Amino acid sequence: MWDAIIVRPIINILLVLYKYLGHETIIAVTLVTVIIRLAITPLTLKQQKSVRKQQELKPKLDKLQAKYKDDKEKLAQAQMELYKTEGINPAGGCLPLLIQLPLMIGLYQGIIRSLAATPLQLLALSKDIYHWIPGLSSLIPLQSKFLWLDLALRDPYYVLPVLVFITAWIYQKMVTPPATDPQAEAMNKQMMIMMPLMTAFFALSYASGLAIYFLVSNLVGILQYLLFKEHYATSAVQKKS
Amino acid sequence: MKRWRIPLIAGLAVMMILLSGCSGGGGMRHESWPGLSIDDGTIYAANLESVQALDAKTGSVYWTFPPQPEKNVGPFYATPVLASDIGPHGTLLVAGMKDQKVYALQLADSPQDLPEVQWVFTEAAGQYVGSGVVAGDLFIIGNGDGHVYALDINDGHLIWSFGTGDRVWATPVVKGETVYVASLDHHLYALSLADGEEQWNTEMEGAIASTPVLAGNSLWVGDFANTLYQVNAASGAIEWQQTFDDWLWATPLVQGTTLYFADVGGKVYALDTTTHAFLWEKPADVGAMVRARMALDEQNHRLFVAGYETGKIYVVDTQTGARLDWGEVVDDPGELPADLVLSDNTLYVMPVISKTRIRAFDAHTGKVLWAYPPAESK
Repeated sequence: MWDAIIVRPIINILLVLYKYLGHETIIAVTLVTVIIRLAITPLTLKQQKSVRKQQELKPKLDKLQAKYKDDKEKLAQAQMELYKTEGINPAGGCLPLLIQLPLMIGLYQGIIRSLAATPLQLLALSKDIYHWIPGLSSLIPLQSKFLWLDLALRDPYYVLPVLVFITAWIYQKMVTPPATDPQAEAMNKQMMIMMPLMTAFFALSYASGLAIYFLVSNLVGILQYLLFKEHYATSAVQKKS
Repeated sequence: MKRWRIPLIAGLAVMMILLSGCSGGGGMRHESWPGLSIDDGTIYAANLESVQALDAKTGSVYWTFPPQPEKNVGPFYATPVLASDIGPHGTLLVAGMKDQKVYALQLADSPQDLPEVQWVFTEAAGQYVGSGVVAGDLFIIGNGDGHVYALDINDGHLIWSFGTGDRVWATPVVKGETVYVASLDHHLYALSLADGEEQWNTEMEGAIASTPVLAGNSLWVGDFANTLYQVNAASGAIEWQQTFDDWLWATPLVQGTTLYFADVGGKVYALDTTTHAFLWEKPADVGAMVRARMALDEQNHRLFVAGYETGKIYVVDTQTGARLDWGEVVDDPGELPADLVLSDNTLYVMPVISKTRIRAFDAHTGKVLWAYPPAESK
């Protein structure tokens, strides 16, 4: 079900792009990443808007917390009232994320599968191709050489993992709202290192085609932030500037 | 600072362990499928970490090479090839996938004794997936670096090599003074056996991972563009072609003037090679992916087909294409991408993703004769 709805369409979009864009895997991976990131931009912005509103509401919520510190029931009631008056859905940030996440995971899986390099990976890929689209099955295996890279293998010089780390760190720094208490600050610091480290680790461990996906994804995220800054919560970067 | 450092490091460590488990770091993960050959009652099996010789009747192991798994040797997937005329008791040629080496193992006086390594060829730069072929004093094998290597079988010296545009996973085929090589670069090549000089090449629609078969003066080969070709072996001209529903990866079988072949989608066909007429009313659909070369029983009445993801053997009537009842349900059948081998009324399969490495069936009744490793040692 997951494969049929999410992963296979992504694989076949990638193959169609590959077919019509000069049999260049790197261009196909870049484009499919950009297309999907752009397609979910409204959701990303909606989610960020919700985070920003929550951030703006923080002082009022803190006041309520102080006022009803001994009565949890009343506190919850007052919070709900406040959300209602301000027109905010407290779970509003979650729904867009629930739609974005499967697409991003599907994109990740689609790219990994398309870059099949071993016989068993290729055999598995044969199930994912829409044989009814003329000319797709004859594209396999994809041409995976680009500069020093074989996109089906790891980057031997670690250039891509380093770039992935740097761009992920910049993106994370841009979208992380400033902390309001020491505990949140510690959490932010963790996330600021953890997320870039994790993506860099993926980029280091898997095919470099996947690192291209992370890199492009981060760059699109940075660009989105720069273009739609007003939708995002005030981050540490904005605060400084 | 210190407060968040500990959970951060712990979290990362857990994540790394989980990810390395997912990517196969916790054990050897299959990347291809193993092959076996049989000679004079002895099975020679490429068995992942090692190459093994086993008694074909009982499945008891004669020897294992290397005796203990070695990190930088193998894994072995390519079907071992016996050059019975080389050395006092024959020489077994095996190729490691990731170590990128060809080993010549000189068989000992007794089949139970561990053979000696006679030479090792280390000049290829890619992985060995397909098997090689012996032609006179040459051992010819394709490699993932896109080259075909012809080695002096006596000492492993490179006699010639020929470069194609992509990986060579198919086994080369030799007829007379010509070597035929199929490559993932979409080409079928004919080379001179003596010096590797190209005689002709023919471009196909898709990548060719399947080993071609010779029938009379024609080569038959399938590709990833779902097309089966009949190619003139002398000129390379395509004499006939037809497109089917899925990739053609299993090496076809020729029996007289009948060609049996299957697509990866699980449809099996019988084609008259002279008239190009299909012999069955409709193809036999086994309902599972088919990657492995099929096998015919000794009377040519029944065709054995391995279902890849189901791990089942399907039997098809060669006259009608109807499915026949056969065999028993086995525990832990695994997956069956590896070629089937039928010898002396016994069908041998090598599953992957299973604790069983080799399973021998009575080809007539379908009963399991033995499995290796035996149940108690798994």
